[in-house]
Amino acid sequence: MHNSAHIIHSSMPFGLDATWVAVSILLIIYAVIMVEKFNRAVLSLLGAGLMILCGVLNQQQAVAGIDFNTIGLLTGMMVIVAISQKTGMFQYVAIKAAKVVKGEPWGILVMLSLVTAVFSALLDNVTTVLLIAPVTLLITDALAVRPYPYLFALILASNIGGTSTLIGDPPNIMIGSAAHLSFYDFLTNLMPIIPVIFIVVITVIWLMFGSDLKTTDEKKELIMQFDEGAAIKDVPLLRKSLFVLFAVISGFTAAHALHLEPATIAMFGAALLLLLQTWGEPLHDKDHAYEAIMAEVEWTTIFFFVGLFIIVTGVEHTGVIGMLAEKTLTLTGGNFAATTAAILWVSAIASALIDNIPFVATMIPLIQSMAPTFGGQEALIPLWWALALGACLGGNGSLIGASANLIVAGFAQRAGHPIAFLSFMKHAFALMILTILISHAYLYLRYLS
Amino acid sequence: MLAESVMTKDLIAAHVGEPVGDVLQRMRKHKLRMLPVLNDKKIAVGVVSTFSILEKIVPSYIASGDLEQVSFAPDIGFLKTHYDQVIYKKIEEVMDDAPLLVKHDESLLSTAAALTSLDRHEYALVIDDDESLVGIISSGDILDYLRNMKVNDKNDA
Repeated sequence: MHNSAHIIHSSMPFGLDATWVAVSILLIIYAVIMVEKFNRAVLSLLGAGLMILCGVLNQQQAVAGIDFNTIGLLTGMMVIVAISQKTGMFQYVAIKAAKVVKGEPWGILVMLSLVTAVFSALLDNVTTVLLIAPVTLLITDALAVRPYPYLFALILASNIGGTSTLIGDPPNIMIGSAAHLSFYDFLTNLMPIIPVIFIVVITVIWLMFGSDLKTTDEKKELIMQFDEGAAIKDVPLLRKSLFVLFAVISGFTAAHALHLEPATIAMFGAALLLLLQTWGEPLHDKDHAYEAIMAEVEWTTIFFFVGLFIIVTGVEHTGVIGMLAEKTLTLTGGNFAATTAAILWVSAIASALIDNIPFVATMIPLIQSMAPTFGGQEALIPLWWALALGACLGGNGSLIGASANLIVAGFAQRAGHPIAFLSFMKHAFALMILTILISHAYLYLRYLS
Repeated sequence: MLAESVMTKDLIAAHVGEPVGDVLQRMRKHKLRMLPVLNDKKIAVGVVSTFSILEKIVPSYIASGDLEQVSFAPDIGFLKTHYDQVIYKKIEEVMDDAPLLVKHDESLLSTAAALTSLDRHEYALVIDDDESLVGIISSGDILDYLRNMKVNDKNDA
């Protein structure tokens, strides 16, 4: 994405004003995405095409607007996760966690939430809940307890865990890439507050549901009979996956010192695991395995990002985002603390109600254009943490706040325990506000006081 | 050769509103693994099979493939509990409501192609021009027909 916004004066068809055309395309596409009647990738690519067809951008400018660091990091991690998940290690860890607490229902809720938070921090939230939610339902069936508190905790834990690292949640990938913030920066700036938020949320969940979670000793014994070892389906692949995951995470941590972008590390890790996965097999089988893994990459999400970057670049080129930034600064009186708070709270509320990816894509150039007011890009860093905390934790505010929430809701629905939109929001929105209050206090104490 | 020449015409059916337990009893009595489900107007609205019933007994997060294998879990006893619940459900809640339909004058080749290529159905419901059910054709019916077919009949199939 471009740091500098400049008003363009290229010739527009029918004498249209570039600013209005670009803003209209963005607003219409975002509105239709919110209605959820069409695929969001198709919409974003249509919007991107319109930006070029209407003359707001030429193709070269559009392509230059795509953040290939974000695209590469997302794709690389998707490949690594697609291979790793076949090993059964997620189920292994989930079952082990349930047995560590001797089948105690409340202990299992805490442990499954913890496992979800840790996996969500290191991998993507959707894959994490896709793998943990079915095991959770099996465990709640075995315990004969209501699955709702567990699924509720899973959703919150996944978004909280995802907030803590550069690769935990797509908004963080976008922020890290645009603001040149490393994996280590995220670890040292966002990670410290995540355990506090997690403990507070789990405590509130205990107050809400703790007394409901009761089972018999026989049912607990049933949990102890689970054989986590049998969940591991492919030991050699498990070793290769763990090796590459460890190497990639170490690489992310050292990326800044090595002057490498995270996308390079993720893509290299993906290529390495693809190679190791089928090492020694005949070429035909290798090709088949590569095709199968490539089919599991969420290309619709990747194309959604591509289109979105172009739409936002179009609006950025018209200078309207710079104007919006100026308006925001006027509202906050140019006060840094007030601007940080505004970004945190607006991001949280917006992300609870709309897709946080387009929101963050729009906010990035807006924050970047505040650099002159606050003394350069370096000075903006607390604003990026405010955006990351708001956008990621905001996803907990409603069932539509994040893709992982909808995945869990889908499981609950199919299992005959539907999660009602309003009853979820009644509890989750209040908890989300609580996490934003904690984040606000953290940002104030660490960066603003 | 047309579908209507190969199909089974002796129809035993289930009816919308019937409990699953009653339908299962009928299937057991006639040694059948599937029955068409008819509405009040005798139009086929689905197919119920022992497979579709078992699919409703196994928890959705396993039957849908979300949990690829459960060899790590002991028998936690919920299959019997679910069975006892499912037999009281209405048949339309467990049937496959998108059965494969073929017209009575469809060729045997086209019917075999539909069975094998369209979501791999084991059975097709044969309907007449008014969309009323006139028979059922299974992969076994086609194989039996082919076995009994004389060499000089080849062009018909």
